[in-house]
Amino acid sequence: MSSESSLFSHRWLPALLLAPLMLLIVLFFYVPVFQAFYWSFFLEQPFGGGSEFVGLQNFQRVLSDPEFWGATGRTVIFMLTASSLAVVVPLMLAVAADRKIGMSYPARNILVWPKGIAGASIGVVFAFIFNPFVGLMAPLNVLFPGLWNPGIDGTDAFVTLVAAHVWSGIPFNFVILLAGLRSIPPTMYQAAAMDGAGPWRRIFDVQLPLIMPQLFLTFVLEFTESITSVFALIDTITGGGPGGSTTLLVYKIYVDGFRGFDLSGASTQTAILMVFVLLLAACQFFFLGRRINYER
Amino acid sequence: MTAIDLSIRAAAAEIELIGVTKSYDAKNTIIPPIDVTLRPGEFTVVLGPSGCGKSTLLQMIAGLERVSGGRIVIGGREVQDLEPKHRGCAMVFQNYALYPHMTVAENMAYSLKVAGVSKAARAERVAKVAKMLGLADFLERKPSQLSGGQRQRVAIGRAIIREPGVLLFDEPLSNLDAQLRHDMRVELAELHRRIGATSIFVTHDQVEAMTLADRILILNKGRIEQFDTPKVIYHNPASVFVAKFIGSPPMNILDVTGDGSVLRLADGQVVASYAGKGNFQLGIRPEDIAVNDGGSIKTEIRYREDLGSHEILETKIADQNLRIAMPFGVEIDTGQALSLSFPQARLHLFERETGRAISGAFGDAKSQSAAAKEYQ
Amino acid sequence: MVENARSINIAAGILLAIGILYIVGPLYLTLSTASQSYEYMLRNGLAWVPGTEFFANIEKVIHDTRIPIQMLNSMIVAFSNALATCVLSFLSAYAIVYFRIRWAGVVFALILATIMLPLDIRVITTYQVAANIFSPLNAVLDFTGLNTLIASVFGSPVQLELSVLDTHFGLVAPLVAHGTGTFLFRQFFMTLPKDLFKAARMDGAGPIRFLIDILLPLARTSFASLFVLTFLSGWTQYLWPLVGASTPDMQTAVVGLARLVPDADGQVPDFPMIMAGAVLVSLVPLTMIALLQRFLVQGLVLSEK
Repeated sequence: MSSESSLFSHRWLPALLLAPLMLLIVLFFYVPVFQAFYWSFFLEQPFGGGSEFVGLQNFQRVLSDPEFWGATGRTVIFMLTASSLAVVVPLMLAVAADRKIGMSYPARNILVWPKGIAGASIGVVFAFIFNPFVGLMAPLNVLFPGLWNPGIDGTDAFVTLVAAHVWSGIPFNFVILLAGLRSIPPTMYQAAAMDGAGPWRRIFDVQLPLIMPQLFLTFVLEFTESITSVFALIDTITGGGPGGSTTLLVYKIYVDGFRGFDLSGASTQTAILMVFVLLLAACQFFFLGRRINYER
Repeated sequence: MTAIDLSIRAAAAEIELIGVTKSYDAKNTIIPPIDVTLRPGEFTVVLGPSGCGKSTLLQMIAGLERVSGGRIVIGGREVQDLEPKHRGCAMVFQNYALYPHMTVAENMAYSLKVAGVSKAARAERVAKVAKMLGLADFLERKPSQLSGGQRQRVAIGRAIIREPGVLLFDEPLSNLDAQLRHDMRVELAELHRRIGATSIFVTHDQVEAMTLADRILILNKGRIEQFDTPKVIYHNPASVFVAKFIGSPPMNILDVTGDGSVLRLADGQVVASYAGKGNFQLGIRPEDIAVNDGGSIKTEIRYREDLGSHEILETKIADQNLRIAMPFGVEIDTGQALSLSFPQARLHLFERETGRAISGAFGDAKSQSAAAKEYQ
Repeated sequence: MVENARSINIAAGILLAIGILYIVGPLYLTLSTASQSYEYMLRNGLAWVPGTEFFANIEKVIHDTRIPIQMLNSMIVAFSNALATCVLSFLSAYAIVYFRIRWAGVVFALILATIMLPLDIRVITTYQVAANIFSPLNAVLDFTGLNTLIASVFGSPVQLELSVLDTHFGLVAPLVAHGTGTFLFRQFFMTLPKDLFKAARMDGAGPIRFLIDILLPLARTSFASLFVLTFLSGWTQYLWPLVGASTPDMQTAVVGLARLVPDADGQVPDFPMIMAGAVLVSLVPLTMIALLQRFLVQGLVLSEK
């Protein structure tokens, strides 16, 4: 705006105000991000034995490792399934809760509860509920032995992870999408009704198109979220197993770095994951984001 | 009437703008260098269409915008580099800009609090101003609990409580409904008489300008079109721009050509006698046109607007729109033929190229201006 | 509107009921199992009806595990995270919005970029920085050759060392290094009328006064929203506290809870006790949501715009 020159002009005060946060951000964000890339070109000895520049060797090693590709593949599959469900389920709930019915009031309250429950906590709970011997499926397992065992069957373990992830992701996406729905002006519905569109039809012709910005945003955030926050769930529910079938990239990095003390390998994978996340966000913005900006 | 303590009274300051200019970059000049002097205690209305730079001008005087060049002198002090609080100005904002979390009393007293005035002295001043503005019963309310008119009064109260030498108004009435706007105009005029601060009032509403101003400064694209009393501005507009901007409906402007003795429309009709040659624009106010009075200009009514107290007739001559204001009760119908005449004394002549007025083109117009000058 | 919306309302009602069941179901099973004995669980598996052993199980958690002290850690981490984020974000957003600084856009972009790469992704190298927060300084000194100079003058190069691992500060600081708060406050400042700022300037308020008298009181709800949001986020963190604290007495409750489940297979774990632990650990954040839900919802919506 034009009134820029009416702002405070002060030499050191703004710098002083920004300094504490910037210091933390540089120290705990930019330095680690830089270091991940830096180390991916060095071979680091785990116990402070110095490091040596190895060029692209780390990348060669990581990229020729089938376990890396396995973990990457599972990450993408998880991202696509879990984050789609984690947006679509809250979307349906939000559309339902936007109607003035008795059920929508308790729903709006209860559906944000998971925000207060740590991924690891619900992981512990889901690990119990889906335990093949004492959990929900135990009676069925007695009738049909081997029907459900996430400890042996990788698919079962994967499904448990997805269920827990969707559970955890409901509050944020639900709140955002509901807020989007509520910001649609009532005259829009009235106009659609005058045009002959019934309530079912209006969901697809009015509501969904108009909350595209929110829907897009939840997808963008959910993609990153599903890649990272799944760590707590894996660590508490499956431990990466059975047989590595739920070892996603973020978990593999942790295992390689903190249990295998392969700092260079973990850093290289971190660097690759970061580039992947950034590219993903950039793609979404350029290809999806452009089409759905309405002037209201 | 009991004697109200009128000690809220400012030492009015003179304001001088010397070559003041504002531009955001080389291509984007909002205000080319401007020179103007406002007398102490004078009420100046800055009038112009939106985007003409009037708000920018006000904010530069207030110190909310930096000048790109030139000097601002208030009460003999150069202030263009001073912070707002050191300029001795107070301001009433368009959307009131009241602090939503403070009560009416706190809002009004805030500048005093910042200035370090003691609590007791603040309370006294607040009480005085509140009484003056009829806000005494609302002092403990929050702005959200007030009506639009009351908020406006609080905004004024907070400005005058410091007894500033200069009072600035940034379209303060534009958010009020018609009735309230009228009432506030009356109150503002009254208040100005009592306080006496040099006041600058920015608006795009010509009625506010005509009723409130000692002098009106008409701004167009950052340039001063005319700076004079309302009467002179109305009766002797300095340019086509001013002529079209003031008056409702605005002055008719017709393209005419002078052949050395008369002025003709494009279709050859003679509309006035004038000794000049060349292309001109002729101005006549709708209410000054004589209808069916033996005039020679022929036209017919295209549309008729009945406004109760008077009527507006829409006509065309030589393919140019012409509006005529008629007193109520004249029997005229759409489609009816008319004969018009333009009283010579009521005509205004402008150069077609520059739009500037040619003063004294028709002898009598001068006397209007002389009468207006006397008023000052 | 006059229209027949029966079918859609019924469908919506059913959908919401399922949704509520999905959320509440696991919570109910947690609570009911937590109130049964280990033996009951071994016999019947997961408990559908509440029993009488709830307080016995809670007592077991309190006496036999480190959860109580870990909850204290969680409290400290969550609270300091919320407080520090609120204060630092408020100050930086204030500097960006209300001061004429040439590099405001760059700084804001730098702060905002932190949202793109969550802590969980960069945990490996963040751990290394936390192990010695002077390592970047040492590296700069080495790289610029200053250290060679220092070594030649003082006999040895500067190699400062300070680990923040296993400290509360170390658990909190990387969480604060995040841009959401700044973003949220900036958005809030932008919604305030420009004239409010100008009026305050006309009233003579300088930067500090404007901050304290005008912005702070107006931003109260934003503070509350951000506080709730970051408190919950601090409490529910897992990966960072897992690696950032190595001793049980420094770990947070969520990590402690996960550690209650034995790694090795074999004997069925004491799920009623673990579920009681889950209840205990979730009590504080859930209470917070129950009491301050309005602010939570507002915070979620604001952090998105």
